[in-house]
Amino acid sequence: MLKMQDISKIYRTDLIETYALRSFSLEVTAGEFVAVTGPSGSGKTTFLNVAGLLEELDSGSYELDGTDVRALSDDARSRLRNQRIGFIFQSFNLIPDLNVQDNVEVPLRYRSLAAADRRERIASALELVGLASRARHMPSQLSGGQQQRVAIARAIAGDPAFLLADEPTGNLDSLMARQVMELLEQINDMGTTILLVTHDPELARRAQRNVHLIDGQISDFRAYEPRRAASPGADTAGAALA
Amino acid sequence: MSLHVRPILSALLRNRTGAVLVAMQVAIALAVLVNALYIVVQRAERMRRPTGIDVDNVMVISSAGFTERFQTVPSIQEDLAYLRSLPGVVAASITGSIPLSGGGNSQPLVVRPEEHRGDNYNSLEIDENGLAALGTHLVAGRNFSHQEIEPPLTKTDASRFVPEIIVSRALAERLFPHQNPLGKRVYDSVNQTATIIGVVDPIMGCFPSNDHPDWVFFMPRYPYAFGGSLIYLVRTQPGQRAALMRLVEEHMSKSNPDRVIDWVRPLNYFRDLTYLSDRSMEIYLITVTALLIAVTCLGIFALATFNVSTRTKQIGTRRAVGARRRDVVRYFLIENGMITSAGVVVGCALALATGYYLSLQYALPRLNLYYLVGGVLLLWAIGQVAAWQPARRAAAVSPSVATRTV
Amino acid sequence: MLSYYVRLALRSFGRNPGITALMVLAIALGIAVCVMTLTVYHAMSGNPIWWKNDRLYAVTMDNWDPSRPYSKDSTLGPPEMTYKDTQYLYRSNIPERKLLMYATDGVISGVGAVPAVHVNTRVTTADFFAMFEAPFQYGNGWNASADEPAQPLIVLSREENDKLFGGANSVGRTLRWNDHEFRVVGVLDDWFPRPRFFDLNGGRFNPPEKAFIPYGWGAQLELLNDEETDCWGQEKLDTFKDFMASDCVWVQMWVELPDAASRERMQSFMDGYWAEQRKAGRFQRPRANRLTNVADWLRDNRVVDNDNRVLVGLAFAFLAVCLINTVGLLLAKFLNGAAVTGVRRALGASRRQIFIQHLIEVGALSVLGALLGLALAALGLAAVHHLYASAHLYHHGGYQELMHFDSVGVLWAVILALAATLAAGLYPAWRVGRLPPAMYLKSQ
Repeated sequence: MLKMQDISKIYRTDLIETYALRSFSLEVTAGEFVAVTGPSGSGKTTFLNVAGLLEELDSGSYELDGTDVRALSDDARSRLRNQRIGFIFQSFNLIPDLNVQDNVEVPLRYRSLAAADRRERIASALELVGLASRARHMPSQLSGGQQQRVAIARAIAGDPAFLLADEPTGNLDSLMARQVMELLEQINDMGTTILLVTHDPELARRAQRNVHLIDGQISDFRAYEPRRAASPGADTAGAALA
Repeated sequence: MSLHVRPILSALLRNRTGAVLVAMQVAIALAVLVNALYIVVQRAERMRRPTGIDVDNVMVISSAGFTERFQTVPSIQEDLAYLRSLPGVVAASITGSIPLSGGGNSQPLVVRPEEHRGDNYNSLEIDENGLAALGTHLVAGRNFSHQEIEPPLTKTDASRFVPEIIVSRALAERLFPHQNPLGKRVYDSVNQTATIIGVVDPIMGCFPSNDHPDWVFFMPRYPYAFGGSLIYLVRTQPGQRAALMRLVEEHMSKSNPDRVIDWVRPLNYFRDLTYLSDRSMEIYLITVTALLIAVTCLGIFALATFNVSTRTKQIGTRRAVGARRRDVVRYFLIENGMITSAGVVVGCALALATGYYLSLQYALPRLNLYYLVGGVLLLWAIGQVAAWQPARRAAAVSPSVATRTV
Repeated sequence: MLSYYVRLALRSFGRNPGITALMVLAIALGIAVCVMTLTVYHAMSGNPIWWKNDRLYAVTMDNWDPSRPYSKDSTLGPPEMTYKDTQYLYRSNIPERKLLMYATDGVISGVGAVPAVHVNTRVTTADFFAMFEAPFQYGNGWNASADEPAQPLIVLSREENDKLFGGANSVGRTLRWNDHEFRVVGVLDDWFPRPRFFDLNGGRFNPPEKAFIPYGWGAQLELLNDEETDCWGQEKLDTFKDFMASDCVWVQMWVELPDAASRERMQSFMDGYWAEQRKAGRFQRPRANRLTNVADWLRDNRVVDNDNRVLVGLAFAFLAVCLINTVGLLLAKFLNGAAVTGVRRALGASRRQIFIQHLIEVGALSVLGALLGLALAALGLAAVHHLYASAHLYHHGGYQELMHFDSVGVLWAVILALAATLAAGLYPAWRVGRLPPAMYLKSQ
């Protein structure tokens, strides 16, 4: 579903050339849960930006759902990003002057959907993360964990091909962190691919596969037991959610 | 205490947009300020020129005879007798046009017979009380005597001149430079001659907007404007004019059925009307220039505030590594000073170009450089004041900001 | 989508009321000053009879002193002509309509109990009313046959008729003009062309005269032009007959020429007369026989003077500063919101969508600024009108007449406001769209 081959990303200043990613390759099949780890400065952020179509690559190829992203215009990339990728950020990045419902709606607004269709998607997304009752609250009225769950709802409302999570529990205490990770696992059980970027090895272990980055290159590659069974909606869902 | 100009400048150049926008505003503000001020001062000087006339105490009465029975001289004498009898009236006279009104007569005078005619000079017909009614003063020679007042022009001798005239000092200087004008003779366009018997100064005639509104001469003759109006000039004691105007209008409207009194007005009315466009121009220029500088200040203030808010981390870091509050303020004031200076430099060029263009259009002397220097200093100072408060706010940023990551 | 963007814009205003108010105020001030200045300029530079601009022509010939030009700061000759020259030219049948006229003074009396009143009067030939399309409330003008020998007919302005006859239909009534009996044949309706294009000599923004009488009365009653009479020769002018035969200029002549052919013929007619008179010793200056249309006439006579132009220039300079200011404020505001914009970009908004979103915000600002600006301009004009009016209790006409909006002016003002603000907002909206989302997303 996602195929990155030989990707290099170079940051140039007047004097220095830095390879943030060097001959980086990665293939992710649909439904996988992959964690990308590495110390700071390893290129995790760059990987995130390239994978999320936020930055362009300097060499190599990137195919997302069969589409080669290099030839795309900004309009096309934005469309692709809108429809295929769901972002989850460490600092939640909810828009402060929109309420929960309107926040979840934002990506849906950039497609042509009927108002009723949008409302339905928002409702089911909020239902899934357990925040349907807070639809009209402002982000400032929610706890960190709740805000991140709104962000997750926002990410899945558009039915993306994969979720791209950047240190999703970094700003949360351990209880909320556990809730969020369980939610992500639940979503993965339902069939959504997840790419998790983190420097926390504990977090990484919950994924099926680990990719370890040092200096822009893959240094380690570990695979775990496939987490889930064939049927979705398995036992790990639900109860832990508040 | 070094100024660290270079690092500030290079940081500024990397983030130019806001600075360029502010500099543009400063440039335009300077160009406008300098030229507007110049025009305002020019106009104010023009309006302040001495008229030599006691404007605040003079009333003007317009009388139009319209029947066959109407007789100019008896009517004038009756009216003047009435006016002079009123307590509070200092002097009353008769003339054919209204001083300072922009409307009147002028005719050519030359100093040698048969000389080709030169410029036209404003002429005013008055009687022996004319100078007193205006409130102007003789500085040489003598006034007209009652016997010298000529009868009005008629329909058969409209080209008749007068034997003697009184001139303004400016006109005397024009006709007879550096000479004593008394006793000299002047000639009209058909070689009739008059002798100068008196000089008044200062005096402004009927055309304040002319280049030389003080080129005036008085003729001792009752007016007859061939169907136009007779103009009475009445000078009153201070404070009595308003009441006398009402009284006079009341009486004179009925005292002679063969004429109609159009109006009785203060002489201020005519002077103000003539200067109306200059006055409006002044007000407009001052208002818009002030607004423009205010808007520019707003721009400076906004840019400084924005810079402070985007650089809080940097400010905190500087403070954490040892900068004092004073240093932070200085940083921002220097940065702002550079932007303002850039604007001022461009503004000078703009101001001079505008000034040059205006001087061509208006045939004015070119812009005095004092205005430019004054404008530069003023605007520069205002620019620094506008950035003062944001700079103070920057200094208040806590050094702990450096370590926070959120 | 549009309503979504509008909602976002309004929310953004609510979140930053201070900076929004400042921006709206800056725009509004710039608009207000421009609108006020342009309203006056437009009124001054208007051609009140623009639809006849290629038919009406002022006739002038330069009969001035060969040793010096008429005017020291223009190459044009005098705006009026001599009596004898106009008498000759008037005989031509080339123009479809033609007129000779000048302004004089008179007193109207003999209307019942109404006291005698001074009226400025226009002495004119019959075609005046048709040529300049003066509307009539009652009756109409006189025929050409009434000009010479002059018939005692008079046309009154509406205001004067109101004063003398209480506004009633006074056609057929008699009155005394300068103590001669005249009969009213017409009363003009409200008519106040601005500027007073047909006669710029006395008060360009004054209303037309209060009374009109046939041209022949000028010679018959020896009426003088009380606006502008200029002489240059060394002629002894003792009587009115001397005056009529002199080189003094005091008569205005206008003709109506329907096409280029008749215009050419009129020009040759004038040139022919000029050549013949020159042989007899007159017209010693370079030939300047002109047929000037109204637009050029207004321009030649400098109705719009340097002061007006300076003020318009100043207004635009002020608007420029306001708009540059707005660009700066918008940039600051949009860049401050870079984080949120980054999120939207990450969630799939393209640069174009971000651009449009911000442009809508600018549009909303411009609407607010335009409304406030128009309100301020109207207030300003009213204040100035009041200022002028109160300073001149007696004075009708003049500058204060220009201080009012007209519907065309308002339309232009609105367009100006919106266009200017949108133009100012283009760069900031474009800039914010180009922000690299990654930088602002607070990623690790």
